[in-house]
Amino acid sequence: MTPHTRPDSPAGDAVEIVRVRKEFGAAVGVADVSLTVGRGEFITLLGPSGCGKSTLLGMIAGFVTPTAGKIIVDGVDLTEVEPYRRDIGMVFQSYALFPHMNVFDNVAFGLKMRRLPKAQIEAEVRRAIEMMKLTGMESRRVRQLSGGQQQRVALARAIVIRPKVLLLDEPLSALDKNLRAQMQVELSDLHRKTGLTTIFVTHDQGEALSLSDRIVVMNRGEVQQVATPIELYRTPANGFVASFIGEINALPKARYERAGEMAALVLPGVGRLTAPARAQWSFNDGAEVQAFLRPEQVRPALPGEAGANLLTGTVAAHIYQGSHTITRVEVPGIGLVETRVTGAEIISAHPVGTPITLSLDIGEAVLIAA
Amino acid sequence: MTQRRPFFITFLAPAVLTAVILVAAMFEVLQYSVRAFIPGALDVGGFTLDNFTRINRPIYWWVMLDTFYISFLTAIFSLLLSYPVAFALVRARRDWVRSLLVSLSITPLFTGEIVRTFSWMLMLGSDGFINSMLRKLSLIDMPLQIMYTRFGVVVALVQFSMPVMIILLATAISHVDRDCEKAAANLGASPGAVFWHVTLPLTLPGILSGIVVVFAWTMSAFSTPQLIGGGKVLMIANLAYLQGFSVLNLPFAATLSLIALVSALGSLVLMKSATSRIEKRLAIA
Amino acid sequence: MRSFAFWSLVTAILAYMTLPTLVVLMTSVNPTEILAFPSEGVSFQWYEKALTYPDFQIAFRNGLIVTGFASTLALIVGSAFAWLVQRYSFRGRGLLEAVLWSPLIIPHFTLGFGFLLLGGAFGLQQGYVMIVLAHMVLVMPFVTRAVYVSLANIDPNLARAAANLGASPFQVLMRIELPLVLPGMAGGWLIAAVLSLTEFTASLYVTGSRTQTLPVAMYNYIREYADPTVSAVSAMLIIVTTLIMFIADRAFGLRRVLAIDTH
Repeated sequence: MTPHTRPDSPAGDAVEIVRVRKEFGAAVGVADVSLTVGRGEFITLLGPSGCGKSTLLGMIAGFVTPTAGKIIVDGVDLTEVEPYRRDIGMVFQSYALFPHMNVFDNVAFGLKMRRLPKAQIEAEVRRAIEMMKLTGMESRRVRQLSGGQQQRVALARAIVIRPKVLLLDEPLSALDKNLRAQMQVELSDLHRKTGLTTIFVTHDQGEALSLSDRIVVMNRGEVQQVATPIELYRTPANGFVASFIGEINALPKARYERAGEMAALVLPGVGRLTAPARAQWSFNDGAEVQAFLRPEQVRPALPGEAGANLLTGTVAAHIYQGSHTITRVEVPGIGLVETRVTGAEIISAHPVGTPITLSLDIGEAVLIAA
Repeated sequence: MTQRRPFFITFLAPAVLTAVILVAAMFEVLQYSVRAFIPGALDVGGFTLDNFTRINRPIYWWVMLDTFYISFLTAIFSLLLSYPVAFALVRARRDWVRSLLVSLSITPLFTGEIVRTFSWMLMLGSDGFINSMLRKLSLIDMPLQIMYTRFGVVVALVQFSMPVMIILLATAISHVDRDCEKAAANLGASPGAVFWHVTLPLTLPGILSGIVVVFAWTMSAFSTPQLIGGGKVLMIANLAYLQGFSVLNLPFAATLSLIALVSALGSLVLMKSATSRIEKRLAIA
Repeated sequence: MRSFAFWSLVTAILAYMTLPTLVVLMTSVNPTEILAFPSEGVSFQWYEKALTYPDFQIAFRNGLIVTGFASTLALIVGSAFAWLVQRYSFRGRGLLEAVLWSPLIIPHFTLGFGFLLLGGAFGLQQGYVMIVLAHMVLVMPFVTRAVYVSLANIDPNLARAAANLGASPFQVLMRIELPLVLPGMAGGWLIAAVLSLTEFTASLYVTGSRTQTLPVAMYNYIREYADPTVSAVSAMLIIVTTLIMFIADRAFGLRRVLAIDTH
């Protein structure tokens, strides 16, 4: 299939969101969000429900009117343009397939609205249907299709109009787990084949991490961080992002002390944790910081191991997950700390209720000013 | 972006026009009810409240009381007879039984009041179906006088009101959480106790709205008391018709019509507040 | 045993509800003018008389005219209003809804009287315009409700999806919403038609001797004569309305339209 990028698309960014704000009465749904999406980029709006991601998507599609701000697509200000004149494709969470039309007519709808010649509609729909592996189902009623097939019809319907941007509103959430993994791969393939600028909304961090070029983490209507999946996981900008992406241990607030090449965290009532100072730890001496550690950055101490960053606590629970085990340890003065180790040996080596010593890899920790 | 409302005016205008016509018609009733009656003329006189003071006579009070009494009896008997049918209709295990029950109980709604009244005339007359059957079985020698009695009118009115009552009760019963009944049974309640302590209280809002809807509808009954009552049973609608078309006292007929309207509205308003209070008490609102 | 007693009770109640209808059907084929139970023989002479009786012929034709106009007008106005209520909130919406629902509560004789007086004020008393308007107002709540229920069952994202694919509001209305509410509209129209065709009390007020509808003609006949002709008319009305309702239920899911949910 020929690339779906529009031959007439101007240079520059595909989507510019300029200080967009949406208020619902006194409540703020989206608070002054600015964002630029590059041409052909796959960007994900990620956040808990009610964080404003769907509202933002609705404003790009034109179903929600912003209280303030601008939405610019391909250099054209669309803020005042009605939804049906926007040329933005969208896949709805419920798919919103037209129940009174068959598969072909569903996919053809957008082209019919554009009054294309019949032969061209036929050809374009066939290509889209082929691309979404729906060949042979053209005359099926949409109610007769499985969830995965409905999903493909919704995608075919959205891409066949060659949209300037493709919006995906939690399109995988209605599918069961296995199908979801498969559709993730297909979405990724589709994006590669069509090169469509894609804005994807999800609350599932796994989907976001595996699909996106960049992720926009949102909470309470505000953008928390915009970064690549790897940056997001390794260097979260704040406590919310750190806790929202993946599992993480949040240590209590500590005093940051710098001594030459070494840095130390002084935890009241616990002690000092030390590590070689890192460049991004640009805190003043004595600043209040909070350290975040992934479970894989915490491990049980080796027998007889001695060193700076050891903490002793009591095993509270083991959560066996097949390839690995998560162990929760109650550490006095800190609370629950999770460690993640491969295999299941830890369960028999450290039964629940017995003491255990943990070694913390503070050098890999994320420090955030408290 | 300004708010766009496609078709707003186009779709609103006919509805508003219809509402205006309806309000105008009701306003005419109101207008006539405060006009003076000129005997022998269809034209009415000036403004007066005489029509309302005229209501305050025993003969009219009796008609009003009779109307309330008949409506009340109808509502109660309609409830007693409808509940088992509605219960069966919701809880029947087989699909075809449910369909049959729905058809049998709802269809009478659509045959119209004249056909239904006429069919009861055939049932209740002195040579009617019931008397003929009773005589055939030698249970009676003389035909029972059911036509032209209040009893006959209520018998017919109950049957008329049952489809509506059944719809309202069935809706209420279908909303009862079966798990609540199972929980009660699990806690040792017998089927009768489950019904009395769980099902019945939970359907109370439906029962109440059923009673009031039937009460309000029956208050405006016309053809049944007219034909089955045969002039011996006079409800407010019959009195209004008599005043309007026999005495040609349009203002007084308008006053009676207005009173009927206000009574119907009043009982519905009463129901609304009572139901919401009960629903709040049951915490199922 | 308990279950047997319960179903016997239900059967007895249903017998009370349906017996009058059966008696009408029975008497309509009574061979003589004097009714007998059970009847001695079968005759269709009353059907012949009913079908050839001029008053009934005229009344039936009047009824069809009134029903046709009233339920179609109610369909158009009611559907538009249902769409409006479903889609927009606006000032005075509650009041307008209350006024248009009120014919469910207003006694039919009050309503008929009002339209009679209103017709008089415009010199239109006992004319078709007032009859049609009265019937339209009476049946509109049923059409509105049927369409409203159908509209409420449409995923609001369908209209959004269509707009997103380039459909203008008019195209969304014609290509998405209209096809999806068409069954509801048809069901609502049939209910309205049946109710209008059989409406009596309000019609008694607003019709005249030349414009009377079938139920009014039947009422006038019953007051003068006592032969089974009206049984025959009633039987035909019962059969026709039952048939229409049966078809409406099969084709358009009448139970949902009437909001009888049994599950």
